[in-house]
Amino acid sequence: MEILGTVIGITIKSLIFIVGMFLAAAYLTLVERKFAGHVQQRPGPLHVGYHGLLQPIADALKVLTKEDLVPDNADKFLFYLASLLAFVPSIMILAVVPFGEPFEIFGFTIYPYISDVNVGLLLALAFGSISLYGVIFAGWASNSKYPMIGGLRKAAVLIGYEVALGFAIAGPIMQAGTFSLKGIVEAQQGLWFIIPNILAFVVIIFAVLAETGRTPFDVQEAEAELVGGYVTEYSAMKFGLFPLAEWYIATFVLSAITVILFFGGWNPLPLLGWLPIPGMVWFFLKLFAVFMFFLWVHWTLPRYRVDQITELAWKVMLPLALANIFIVAIWIMIFG
Amino acid sequence: MQFSQENSLWINQEKISKIKEKYPSVSIEKYDNATFLHIDKSSLIDFLTFLKENLGFKMFIDFTCVDYPFHNPRFQGVYFLYSPEDRQRVGVKTWATDNTLPSITSLWKGAKWAEREAWDMFGVKFEGHENLVRMFLWESYPYHPLRKDFPLEGIQDTYLPSKNLRPEENPAHNYTPYHTYVPTLEDLEETQKARMPNKSSQIVLNWGPLHPGTHGTIWFLFDMEGEYVKECDIILGQLHRGVEKIAESRTYTQFIPYTDRMDYISALCSQVAYVNAVEKLLNVEPPEKAKWIRTMLCELQRINSHLLWLGTYALDLGALTIFLYCFREREKIMDIIEGISGIRLNSSYIRIGGVAKDLPEGALDVIKHFVKDFPKKLQEYETILTTNRVWLKRNINVGTISEEDVYQYGLTGVVARSAGVPYDIRMIQPTDAYDKVDFDVPLGKVGDCYDRYLLRVEEMKQSIKIVAQCAEKLEKMKEDKYIATENPYVLPTLDEVFNSIEAMVKDFNLRIYGEQAPEGEIYLSGENPRGELGFYIISKGEGHPYRLRIRSGAFYNLQIFPELIKGRTVADAVALLGSLDPVVGETDR
Repeated sequence: MEILGTVIGITIKSLIFIVGMFLAAAYLTLVERKFAGHVQQRPGPLHVGYHGLLQPIADALKVLTKEDLVPDNADKFLFYLASLLAFVPSIMILAVVPFGEPFEIFGFTIYPYISDVNVGLLLALAFGSISLYGVIFAGWASNSKYPMIGGLRKAAVLIGYEVALGFAIAGPIMQAGTFSLKGIVEAQQGLWFIIPNILAFVVIIFAVLAETGRTPFDVQEAEAELVGGYVTEYSAMKFGLFPLAEWYIATFVLSAITVILFFGGWNPLPLLGWLPIPGMVWFFLKLFAVFMFFLWVHWTLPRYRVDQITELAWKVMLPLALANIFIVAIWIMIFG
Repeated sequence: MQFSQENSLWINQEKISKIKEKYPSVSIEKYDNATFLHIDKSSLIDFLTFLKENLGFKMFIDFTCVDYPFHNPRFQGVYFLYSPEDRQRVGVKTWATDNTLPSITSLWKGAKWAEREAWDMFGVKFEGHENLVRMFLWESYPYHPLRKDFPLEGIQDTYLPSKNLRPEENPAHNYTPYHTYVPTLEDLEETQKARMPNKSSQIVLNWGPLHPGTHGTIWFLFDMEGEYVKECDIILGQLHRGVEKIAESRTYTQFIPYTDRMDYISALCSQVAYVNAVEKLLNVEPPEKAKWIRTMLCELQRINSHLLWLGTYALDLGALTIFLYCFREREKIMDIIEGISGIRLNSSYIRIGGVAKDLPEGALDVIKHFVKDFPKKLQEYETILTTNRVWLKRNINVGTISEEDVYQYGLTGVVARSAGVPYDIRMIQPTDAYDKVDFDVPLGKVGDCYDRYLLRVEEMKQSIKIVAQCAEKLEKMKEDKYIATENPYVLPTLDEVFNSIEAMVKDFNLRIYGEQAPEGEIYLSGENPRGELGFYIISKGEGHPYRLRIRSGAFYNLQIFPELIKGRTVADAVALLGSLDPVVGETDR
C-alpha cells in the first residue's frame, strides 16, 4: 500500500514537473525573444495578447498544426527517434534536480524534487550525454549533407566539453563529499562553492554554452554555413522539439545545476538571510540570473569555428578543470 | 589637385615609342579617354609579356571581345592593362583569326573567367585555357548570345505548350508554344560535371545557389574532406540578365536604370560611373552643382553599402545583433536617398548632363544631422567587434591576399587595398568633385579578412568626411542649375518640355533616336564599394552603343575565392566570401 502511494505521488509530481517545464519552456521562448528584441532595439513579439504574452501559445499551436514532412530517403525510424532522443533526456534531468527544501502545507510535507538520488549529479551528466545521440541520429537519418555535417560538428563539440564538464564538477563534489545535488546545496550553507571553484565555474559556463548550442558555440546550426544544421530536414513539432530541448529546457536545467553547484542553491544571498523570502524564490532568482547571462552572451558575440571550439575544449578548458581539482584539494587540506 | 588633362591615365608617348621600336607593326588607336595598340594575333603573348615585364603594365584589368559581323576575322579581343607605378592604362586589340585566341592565363590568372565569359558570349576559343567551359550559361546551351546575329529576345526553339490552352477562337490567349531554351536538370548536372571534372574527396557539397550564406544566388561546389575544402568551383549565372546585350538596343539614357540593377546595393555609384563614361563620350560637361550632388550621394551610397556589408558579414559570423544595428543606420541613408531621388533602392537619379531633380528643401539639413550622428554609431559597432576575441579569431589570417594576387587577378576596391595596393579610382582618376574634396585612402598591411573589415570601417569614416564637405559646399549653391540642359545631348527638364516647343522637340528626338554619340571608344571607371566598375563603350555614331562592356569589380574579386579557400573549412568560406563582398547582380550582370 505504501509503495502504491509512493508511485502515485511520484507520478503526479513528475506530471507537474513535466507540464510545468513545458509551460516554463514556452514562456522562456518569450523571455528570450523579448530580450533579444530589446538588445537589438526592436520591441520583440507585440501583437498576440498584451505585449505578446500569448505568443508562445500561438507558436505552439502553429508548430503543432504544421504539416509533418519526412524526406523520402530518410531513415524513418531513426528520424523519429532522434527528435525524441534530443528532447526526453533533457527533461529527464529534472528527475534529480531539487528546487528547494521540503516544506509543509496543510500538514503535508511537500518535497520540491522528484527524487534525491545519491548519485544525482552523475545521472544528470549521463542524461545529458544521451541527448548527444539525438543529434547524431538526426544528422545521419536525414540522409542529407548539411544535417550530416551539423550533427558531426555537434558531436565533436559535445565530446570535448563533456570531458571538461566532468572534471569541473569534481571540485564541488569533493567539497560536499556527496553526489546528491541536495547534499551539495546543504554543504554550501556557509560559503558558496564559487570561492575555491572559480575555475570550474568558468569551465561550466563554457560547457553549458557549448552543450546548449548557443553562440559563440552554435556551430552545429550556423545558418550561414549549414542552413539549419542537423534540423534542416525536420518540420513541424519534430523540428520544434530540438530548439525547445536545446535552447530552453537544457539551458534551464543546466542553469539550475550551475546554481546548485556554485551559488548555494536555495540558500539566500550572503547578508540577506534575514529577508522573509522562501528558499525556492531565491533559487529561481539565481537560476533566472544565470539563464539571462547565457542569453546575453548569445545575443552579443559572433561564433567560433568548430576547430577553434574543440581546441578551446581540449587545450584550455580541460587543463583549467584539472587545475581546479588541484586547487580545491589544497583548499580542503587547509580549511578542512 | 585638379583633374587637368584627359587621357592622362592612358599610356604616354614615351612608352609608345619604346613599343614602336620593338614592335614596328603595332598601330596606335587614340581617343580622348582610351588608347589602343593593335597587334597581330601571332605575337600577342610575346607583346603582352613585353608590356607586363618591361613597361610595368602588370595589373590585369579586363578582357573582352567585340563582334564585327562583316569583318574577317569576325571577333576582336580587347585587353586592358594597368601600370601601378606610372598610373597608366593601356588597351590592346587583336583580331581572333579562326575564332581562336591564345589564352593569357599563363600571364594573368585573372583572365581565366574573362576568357570563359568571352567563350560563353561570343564563341571565341582560347588555346591553352585549362578548363574552357561556359561562364554564365549552362553547358548544353547551343548559342553565343552576345554575337550580333543573336536576337535580343532569344531564339525560340523549345516546344513548351501551355498546360491550359485556350480555345482556338480566342486569339488573345493563343500564345506561341515555342519558348527560348530553359535548362533542365540534366543540363545543370552536366554543367556541374564540366565545372569540376575530377572530384577527389568524400562529398561534393552544393553550397547554394539558394543558401543563406552565399549573398545571393552563387552556386559553390565544395569538394570536401571532412570539414575541409579540397577543391572549389563557382557556378555563376543564376542572375545573368544579359545587361550588355540589352545595352546594344537601348539609348544611352534608357540604359541608366539597368546600371542600378547590376549592383543593387550601391545603385547610385554604378549610375555615376556609367553616366560619367557617357558624358566623356558625348563631351557633355555637367554643372558644378550636379557634380557635388553626385559625389555626395555616391559617398552616402558607399556608407550604405558598407553598412549592409558589415551587418551581413557579422550575421554570417554569428553576431546577430550587429545586423540590426547596421540596418538602423542604413535605414536613415535609405530615407535620405528616397527623399532626394524618390526611390529607395534603384534610384535612377543621375542623368546625362546632371541629375534628375534638384535637391529638395531640407535635404541638406537631414544630411548634416546624419553626418553629426553617424560617427557615434560607428563607434558602437567598433566597440562590439574590433577587439572582440572571437571576431579576431575568425578574421585574422583568413583569406590572405598578396600584392601579386592583386595584379594577377585584377582585384580592385577594398580587396586590393587590403593587400597594400593603393588602387582607388577616386584618387587616380578623379571624376565629379572628388578632386576638390579632402579624404584619405586607407591601406591594409596583411590582406586578410580582418584588414578588409578595418578598411571598410575606415572608409565609412572617410566617406562621412566627404559627405560633410559636399553638404557644406552645396549649401552655397542653392540657386544653381542642376542639369546642363543647354547641351544638345541632355534631356530637358519636365518644366522646359511643357513650356517651350524647342525643348519638346529636343526631348522627343532624344527619347526616340537617342543621343547620337560621335564615333569613338571610351573606357572609364568609377570606384564602386565593390571595386572598379568600368564601362567600355564603343560608339558607331548611332543612338545606342555598338558594344558596351561592363568591367565588374565583384566578378574579378570573386575569382580569387576558389584559390584562397583550398585547404580551409566551410566556416572560413563564409568569412572569406563575406569579406570579398560580391553582389551577384554585378558579377552576373
